[in-house]
Amino acid sequence: MSFDGFPPFISAQLQYLLAHYPQLIKVEQVWSGSKYFPGSLDRFTLLIPYCLDYLRWDIIYNVEFPLAAPDVIFGPEDENFHPFHDLGGEGGDLRLVKNSLTDWNNKDPARLLALIEELRDKYMSYQKKRVGEVDDDRLKFEISTILSREGIEMHMSSGVEKAEEVKFAVPLMDMNINKMVLACPWRHPQRIYLQVVYPVGRKYVSAPSAPRLKLMSTAELKALFSIDDVKLPPWLDGMCLAEYLPHLEQLLQRQVSEAVSLIDVRRRFIEALAPLFGRPLEADPVFCRKATFLSASGPFTLLVHFFLSTQFPKQQPSLMLQSTQHFNSHGAPAKSPLLNDYPWSPRWEVSQMAERVFDFLVDESVNFKRQCNESQLQH
Amino acid sequence: MEDLPLQKVAISGPTLTYMIQRFSSSLGDVDGFLFGHVTHIAPSTLSDDSPQTSSDSDSPQLVATVTSFLCPSSPLSFYDALGRVDSSSLHRFLSPQTHHQFIGWFSARRKTPIRPSMREFSVSRSLSTNSQLSFPIKNSENPIKLSPCIFLLFATPLQDQLIHTHEYRAYQFRVSTQSFEPKSIDIVNIGPAFRGHYGSFSPNSPFPMLNCELSSLSAMNEDRRDEALSEIKQVSKDQRELDMCAEDFPVSNLSRLIGSEASNHTAGLENLYEKMLAKIDSLARQVEKSNAKVFEQEAHNRKLRYKVARTGPE
Repeated sequence: MSFDGFPPFISAQLQYLLAHYPQLIKVEQVWSGSKYFPGSLDRFTLLIPYCLDYLRWDIIYNVEFPLAAPDVIFGPEDENFHPFHDLGGEGGDLRLVKNSLTDWNNKDPARLLALIEELRDKYMSYQKKRVGEVDDDRLKFEISTILSREGIEMHMSSGVEKAEEVKFAVPLMDMNINKMVLACPWRHPQRIYLQVVYPVGRKYVSAPSAPRLKLMSTAELKALFSIDDVKLPPWLDGMCLAEYLPHLEQLLQRQVSEAVSLIDVRRRFIEALAPLFGRPLEADPVFCRKATFLSASGPFTLLVHFFLSTQFPKQQPSLMLQSTQHFNSHGAPAKSPLLNDYPWSPRWEVSQMAERVFDFLVDESVNFKRQCNESQLQH
Repeated sequence: MEDLPLQKVAISGPTLTYMIQRFSSSLGDVDGFLFGHVTHIAPSTLSDDSPQTSSDSDSPQLVATVTSFLCPSSPLSFYDALGRVDSSSLHRFLSPQTHHQFIGWFSARRKTPIRPSMREFSVSRSLSTNSQLSFPIKNSENPIKLSPCIFLLFATPLQDQLIHTHEYRAYQFRVSTQSFEPKSIDIVNIGPAFRGHYGSFSPNSPFPMLNCELSSLSAMNEDRRDEALSEIKQVSKDQRELDMCAEDFPVSNLSRLIGSEASNHTAGLENLYEKMLAKIDSLARQVEKSNAKVFEQEAHNRKLRYKVARTGPE
């Protein structure tokens, strides 16, 4: 997204925020409050990650006075969130308060970042306070046992139509996944979270039901490890989070370490392809999830794409052939559908895997060439 | 200073229209002061047996009426980025006359959701907790004071719309709950349905008393000259002010307009009206000229601001 429409001071602050915020922050929309110049932008909606969801905050500058500090409009469900309310209290000590807004300096591009970080911290304590006020014995117990976990976030959702719920985002495992990956390209630390949703209990329910559990991870982790493949351990009757979490963490730790070791298996497979196919044209060097080779079947030259899932070698690679000589009616190169059905065993040595794929492709490329020629004739 | 709930906020159609016009003609977002008064009204619906409403009638029924506003045309003019009201800059905008009519403030911002922002909350809170700004409630039995707790919020929809172009809401900031309470807005307009509003109208412009029989009054008091001296001074001062308004038309002549000879004197009165019209006309021209100057100056300021803003960070 381009921020050229903003006055330079505002644009500098927004860009600094996006580049330096510890998590991935998004700008949902940008627009202008100017009467005559709808092109001079001065307001935008930020999507700030919180408790495995996003906070939608409108940041309102004034295009006529771009040097002045911005104002913030919080979401409609947060009308009771007043971040600077408790400052100074009733005594009028408010004059002594110093924070990111009181000494606003338009020339300092880090100011907006400081403001958003301060507001998000305040929002976290605001939600913690709200959850703490819920009159539910089980919840009170759960909070008391897991509150010491670092980085835990909670959210109380209530609405006219919705039933009251308390949501926790529990960061799992104290392991730095970024460090485990060689030449890690991730800018933000990758984490796995357990989302726990408790319906706020009514007094007469004797046996509390299991909370709703869901594993979630930061988006980029998918390249290494898919949390959709994890089967959550069952929640037993009368269990509490403090009992459940250690077991789950052990399970995940094992699986993440395994996923990291699988990178090497994939790398060795791609390396084993090289003697048969020649050096790859292109290969994903970090996670080894993709490789492309240039190959020839007689005079017919084609590209062979290998897609390796995180479950490799249990799951065989998906192959796709791409002709360098045939094009479809849109002018795009002719490609085969994904090929998943060919002889495969995860118990083979990588060299044997490579050989078997090569053998399969010798026949398949002839088929592919024929298909390409046939479709070419039809046009 | 009490924290009493208001029943509603009343505003006259022309004032509201003027505010919306001011907002829609402004270059960016604007805010400003609301002037008016809070009055105590007798409950209009009296019923014989309704015990549940007795709690309502315990607290006085208060209506805030917005009569005028002031828009400083620049943001953060009387509060800082955090929303803390600065007394000294606030008092630059309030004259001793308007001080007791300062009942709240408004904020108007383009293409934003119609709910109070972080700073608007702080400003209202700061105004409501400042005991120096409290003003008395009109016609109430007890000397109750209220703080400038009214907040009017104007916004335009995020997407341009053809028919629905402006939104507005009224709030009262309640110190006891530290929150905005939405209030209904009563737009006072002229028409049979609104006759009630004007029944209790009492003029409060600084127009002098019509004491038009100065000469006869002084003749009667000839023997008590000393005591009456100050009175006479006052009367002649009033007369001078009156003459200014009356464009040299002797007010005593008004008495001649009654009776059979009235038709002979109407020319004088018509002359007075013509002079007054001419005066209003020249005033309108002056306003027009000064408006043009203000506009010119604003455009110049705007250019300078842009120049500064476009330079960007070093």
